[in-house]
Amino acid sequence: MSVVDYTQELSVVEGKPALRSLDDIISKPLETRPDKKFYIALSITLSMLGLFVIGLGLTFWYGIGMWGNNNPVGWAFDIVNFVFWVGIGHAGTLISAILFLFRQKWRTGIARFAEGMTIFAVMTALLFPLIHVGRPWLDGWLMPYPNQHGLWVNFTSPLLWDVFAVSTYFMVSLIFWYVGLIPDFATLRERTSTKIKKVIYSTFSLGWRFSNRHWQHYEMVYLILAGFATPLVLSVHTIVSFDFAVSILPGWHTTIFPPYFVAGAVFSGFAMVQNVLIFVRRIFNYEHIITLDTLEKMNKIMLVTGSMVGYAYAMEFFIAWYSGVQPEQFTFLNRAFGPYAWAYWIMVTCNVITPQLFWFKKIRRSIPVMFIVAVFVNVGMWFERFVIVVTSLSRDYLPSSWAYYKPTYVDAMILIGSFGFFFTWILLFTKALPVVSIAEVKAVVDDAQPTHKDH
Amino acid sequence: MSSTHNVEYQKKELPAKIRTIGLVLFIIGLIGVAASYLTDSSRSAFNNIIMLSFLTSVGLGSLFLVAVEYVAGAVWSTPFRRIPEFLSTILLVLPVVVVPLLFKLGDIFHWMHPEVVEADKILKGKAPYLNVEFFMVRVVLFILLWIVFYYFITRTSKKQDLTFDPSLTKKNIKLSAAFIPVFGITISFFAFDWLMSLEPHWFSTIFGVYYFSGSILAAFAAVTFVVVMLNENGYLVKGLTNDHYYSLGAFMFAFTNFWAYIAFSQFLLIWYANLPEETFWFLQRWEGNWIYYTIGLIFIRFAIPYFGLLSQPSKMDPKRLKIMSVWLLFAHWYDLYWLAMPNYSKDGILFSWIEIAFPVLSVGIVILLFVQLSKKNNLVAIGDPKLKRGIDFRL
Amino acid sequence: MSNKILYSYTGIFDTPDEIIYAAEKTSDYGFKKYDVHTPYPLHGMNKAMKLPPSKLGYVALVVGLSGALAALLLMFWMSAVDYPIIIGGKPFFSFPAYVPVMFEVTVLSAAIATVLTMLFIFFKLPNNAHPLHDTDYMKKVSSNKYGISIQAEDEKFNEEQVKIFLTGLGAKEITAVYFDNEEINYKHKILEPKFIGFLLFTALLTSGVSYFVLNKLLYMPPFDWMMEQDKLNPQATSTLFTDGYGMREPVEGTISRGHLPYLFKGQPDAAEINLSNPLPFTKPVLEMGQKKYDTYCSPCHGYHGEGDSRLRGQFPNPPSLHSEKIRNWKDGRIFHVITDGQNVMPSYSSQMTTEERWAVVNYIRVLQRALNAKESDLK
Repeated sequence: MSVVDYTQELSVVEGKPALRSLDDIISKPLETRPDKKFYIALSITLSMLGLFVIGLGLTFWYGIGMWGNNNPVGWAFDIVNFVFWVGIGHAGTLISAILFLFRQKWRTGIARFAEGMTIFAVMTALLFPLIHVGRPWLDGWLMPYPNQHGLWVNFTSPLLWDVFAVSTYFMVSLIFWYVGLIPDFATLRERTSTKIKKVIYSTFSLGWRFSNRHWQHYEMVYLILAGFATPLVLSVHTIVSFDFAVSILPGWHTTIFPPYFVAGAVFSGFAMVQNVLIFVRRIFNYEHIITLDTLEKMNKIMLVTGSMVGYAYAMEFFIAWYSGVQPEQFTFLNRAFGPYAWAYWIMVTCNVITPQLFWFKKIRRSIPVMFIVAVFVNVGMWFERFVIVVTSLSRDYLPSSWAYYKPTYVDAMILIGSFGFFFTWILLFTKALPVVSIAEVKAVVDDAQPTHKDH
Repeated sequence: MSSTHNVEYQKKELPAKIRTIGLVLFIIGLIGVAASYLTDSSRSAFNNIIMLSFLTSVGLGSLFLVAVEYVAGAVWSTPFRRIPEFLSTILLVLPVVVVPLLFKLGDIFHWMHPEVVEADKILKGKAPYLNVEFFMVRVVLFILLWIVFYYFITRTSKKQDLTFDPSLTKKNIKLSAAFIPVFGITISFFAFDWLMSLEPHWFSTIFGVYYFSGSILAAFAAVTFVVVMLNENGYLVKGLTNDHYYSLGAFMFAFTNFWAYIAFSQFLLIWYANLPEETFWFLQRWEGNWIYYTIGLIFIRFAIPYFGLLSQPSKMDPKRLKIMSVWLLFAHWYDLYWLAMPNYSKDGILFSWIEIAFPVLSVGIVILLFVQLSKKNNLVAIGDPKLKRGIDFRL
Repeated sequence: MSNKILYSYTGIFDTPDEIIYAAEKTSDYGFKKYDVHTPYPLHGMNKAMKLPPSKLGYVALVVGLSGALAALLLMFWMSAVDYPIIIGGKPFFSFPAYVPVMFEVTVLSAAIATVLTMLFIFFKLPNNAHPLHDTDYMKKVSSNKYGISIQAEDEKFNEEQVKIFLTGLGAKEITAVYFDNEEINYKHKILEPKFIGFLLFTALLTSGVSYFVLNKLLYMPPFDWMMEQDKLNPQATSTLFTDGYGMREPVEGTISRGHLPYLFKGQPDAAEINLSNPLPFTKPVLEMGQKKYDTYCSPCHGYHGEGDSRLRGQFPNPPSLHSEKIRNWKDGRIFHVITDGQNVMPSYSSQMTTEERWAVVNYIRVLQRALNAKESDLK
C-alpha cells in the first residue's frame, strides 16, 4: 500500500470486533486472577516504593538537611521531580480533553489509560511540594482558612498559585475520569456474577442505565469538562513555569516559559504514555484497540512538541544574547559550557535530536525503536528541569556564593521511589478498572454509528 | 476516485460588484497612501509596517492553515481549503509592500544609525544581528522562502483539480511538513525584525509566539469571513453544514483565548519581575492617552470576541461569525498598531486619514487578488480525495 | 403476578439504524414518557427523540462566573482589607497576580457544579431501585443491543397497542417490566440503632484522633524538633557561663543607643525637685498615657487607680493612687516611681520610653482629678 486511500477514514478499532467481544476483552483483566508476571512487576514497584518510604522517613525524621540542597541551590530534586511528574500528567488531559475537542477519534482507545496516568502522576507530583516544606504535617497552612494566627496565605506568590492549580487539576482530572467510568461501571455491574463485585459496581455506577435522556446531558458535560480541562491543563504548567519565571534569576525569568513548559509537559507525557501503552496492548491483547496507527500519531505529537521545545531552547539562547544583559548571557553560556554542561547536552540530545528520528515513517511505526526514543525523551525532560533549576541557582548574581550541587543518596531514593509509587498505582489500576473505555470504544467501531440519511 | 464525482460543485463567477468594490478601495487606498507619504513620511512608514505585518499575518497564516490541514490529515476544512490558498497569494504582494519601507529604514529603526550604535553599549552588542546588511538579507530571504512554499503547495493543489491524483496529496503533505518548521522560525524572526526591534533595547522571548497567535487568529478570521460569504451565496460546494461553521467558530474562539494567554503571560512575567530593562516597553504603552488604548486592547482583542463566541449556537450562527471575523481582523490591526505606533508617537495616540488609508489599501489588495484568482481557478479543491469526507464531516 | 405494577414495555433492536428509526416513530406517535437505551451515545439520537438541547452550559457559566467573582472578592478582602502586607513591592490589591487563582477557582467550581447538577438533579442518581435494573433488558443494552422502553404512565399508553406498536417497529423480545414491590414499599428508617451507632463511633473516633494529634503527637519527636533545638533560650540556665545564666548582662558602663541613663536612681526626693513634666495635657498625649497605663499599670493599680488589682492576690495590692499623699506628689516623683520602682513595684523603664512614662503621669493626674473633682470643674 504505497499510496494511502485518502477517501476512506482509517478505522480506529481494527477488524470491526463485535461489541460483546469488546466487553469481554476489556473486562477480562478484572475477571481473572492476576498471573505471576503481575506479581513480579508488583514486587519490583513495591520495593521501589519501599525506598521511597525510607527516603521520606529519613527526610521527615532528620529534616531536609538529608538532601543535597546547599546554599545557592536551595531548590533541587524536590522541585525537579515535581515539575517532571506534573508534566507527565499533561498528556492524559491532552488526550482526553484537547483531542476530544478536536474530534480525534483515535484518542478513545488510549484516553482512559492516559487519564489514569494523569491522576497518578499528579498524585506523585503533589507529594513533592508537600514534603519540601520540611514540616509536611503543617501543609494545611497552604490553604487559606480562618485561623488562630489571624493570617492569610500570600495570593501574590506563584507557589500558592501552584497549590490552587495542581489541586484543581487533580480534582478536575478525577471528576473527568470518574464521569467517563460511570457507564463502564454499569456495564461491569451487568456482567459480574459475584455478589461483592456487584455491590461495588452498583455503588460506583450510581444506578446508570444507559438512557439516552442521560446520554444527552452526559455528552454535554463531557464537552464542558473538556472545554474547561483544556485551558486548565495549559494553566497548570504555565503556573508551574511562573514558579521560576516571575523571579529575576537569569535563566528563570524569560517570557517564553509558559508555552515552553506546556509543550515540554505534553512532550514528556506522551513519551511516558507511549512507553506504558506498548506494554499494555501487548499484555492484554489490545493490539486492535490501541493500534499501531494510534502509536504513530502519538509519535507525531512527540515530534511536534519536541520541536517546540527545541524552538524554545533556541529562542532563549538567542534572546539571552540579544538582550545585552550580561548575567543573562553568562547563564546560558554557563549552561552549555559550565560545570553542568553534561546535563545540558544530555537534555539537548534527548529532547531535540532524538525525537527528530520520528520524521521517518519507519521509525514511527517500529515499536522497539519508538520505545527507546520515548525513554530518551523522558530522561531528557527530567534533565531539562534539572538544568533549569540547578544551573541557574548554582551560579547566580553573586559569584562569591557559587557552589556545585550534588544530590545525596536520600535524593536518589526519593527519585527512584517516586517511580515506584507511580507504577504501583498503574499496576493496581490495570487490575481494578477497565483500562480502555468500553462505551467510547464501542462508539467508534466501524458501523457502530447510524448512517446519515440526511444527504 | 469515484466518490469525488458525486460532489455537487458548479463553478460560478463572482459578481462584478465585488471587483468594483475592490478596485474602488484599492484606488482610494493607493491615493491615500501616496498622499500620506508626501505629508508625513515617517508616520506613514510606521503605518506601512502595520500593513506589512497585517498582510503577512493573513497571507502566511493562511498558508500555515493549508499546511496544517495536509499534515494533520484534517478533512473538515478540505471543502474550502481553496480559500486559505487564495488568501496566501497575499505573500506575492509583500515585496511591493516592503519597498517603500526600504527608503525609510533610517526613520523607523534607530539602530540603523552607526553613530547611535557607537554611543550605545547595548546596541553595539546587538550589532551582529541588528545591522542593515543582515536585516536586508533576512527580509529578502524570508519573503522568498514563503513565496517558494506558496508556489509549490498551491500549484500541487491546483494540479489535483485536473488530474484527481491522490499522490499529489502525499506530495503536499511532504511539502507542508517541510514548510511548518520554516514557518515557525521565519515568522518569529519576522516579528523580531519588524516589530520588536522598533524598540531595540527591549526583548521578550515570547514575542514570536505572540505574533504567531495573532496571525493565526487573523488568518482564521479572514478564512471564516470569506467562507461564510461565499457559502451563503452558493459559490462553494453543496452540503456544508453547521458543523463546518462550528469548527471555524471554535478555532476563532480557541485562538482568541490562546492570544490572551500568551499576551497575559508576557505581561504578568514582566510586571511581576519588574526589571527596568523590560518594563519600560509596557510603561510606554501606559502613559498619556496610550493607557486607554492599552485597556481597549483587552476588550477589543479578548473580552468582546470571547463572549461573542462563547456559546455553542453562536459558533454556528453565520451572522455572528461574519461579525466576529471582521471584528477580529480589526482587532488584529488594532493589536499591531499597539505594538508599533507607541514607538513612533510617545506622546499619544495618532489617528487621522493616514491611519485609514493603509487598511483601506490592504482590503482593496486582498479583494482584487481574490477576484482575480477566482476567475481562473475553482473555488473548491474538487480533485482532493478527502473532499467527500470533508463534506460529510459531522461533529 | 397480578398485584405487580407495570412500569413499561421494552423492545430490543440489533442495529443503530433500527433504533434511530424506532425512536423517530415513537416520538412521532406522540409518546412522551419513553426512553431509548444504548450501550454508547448514538449520533442523531437526540434529534430522533426530539430532545431539547441540554441546559447544563448555563450551570457551568453561572457557577464559573460566580466562582471567579468570589475568588476575587475573597483575595481582595484577605490581602487588602483584613491583613494587608506589602510583598515584593506589589500593591495590596494586585489584580494581575490574582488572575491565576481566579481562573483555577472558576474551573474547579464550574466543573464540580456541572457534574453534580447532572448526576443528582438532572439524572436523579444515585438510584439503584429503578425497575429497569436487574432485568434481562438492562443486561443487553449495557453490552451490544439497543433498546426502547415505553412507560405505562404515558398518556397514550395502552398495553395491547404498545405491544403491536413495538412489533411493528421490528422490536424483538418485547417484555413487560414491573416495579419491584419490595423495593417501592421499603421504608427507610433514619433512626436505626446501627446507623446511630455508626454516627457515635465516627464522632468519638474523630474527636479522639484530633485530640491525640493536636495535643500529644505534635509534641513528640520529630514533630517538636522545631521547638526543641540545640540553642540557648533567653531565660534558660546555661552551664557555659559561670553565673549560670543563658543571657548576658551588658558590659558595665555601656549605654544603649537612644537612651540616657537615669540620673536619680534611688533618690526620689531629688527626682521630685529636679524633674519637670515636658508634656502638655493634649488629647494624643492622654490617649498614649491611657494606653500604656491600661497595659502596664492597670493590672495592679486597677483601671481607675484605686488599687483594685485584677491579679487575685498573686501579687500584693498596691495602695490607691487617689490618696492625699500621692495627689500632692509632684510629677517628677510619680515619674521616679515608674522609672525606678518602689517597694515591691519593679522598674518599668524597659517597658516604656521616657515620653510614654510622662504621658502615664499625665493620665494619672487625669484619673486623680476625675475622682476628686473641684467645684469649678462642674462648670
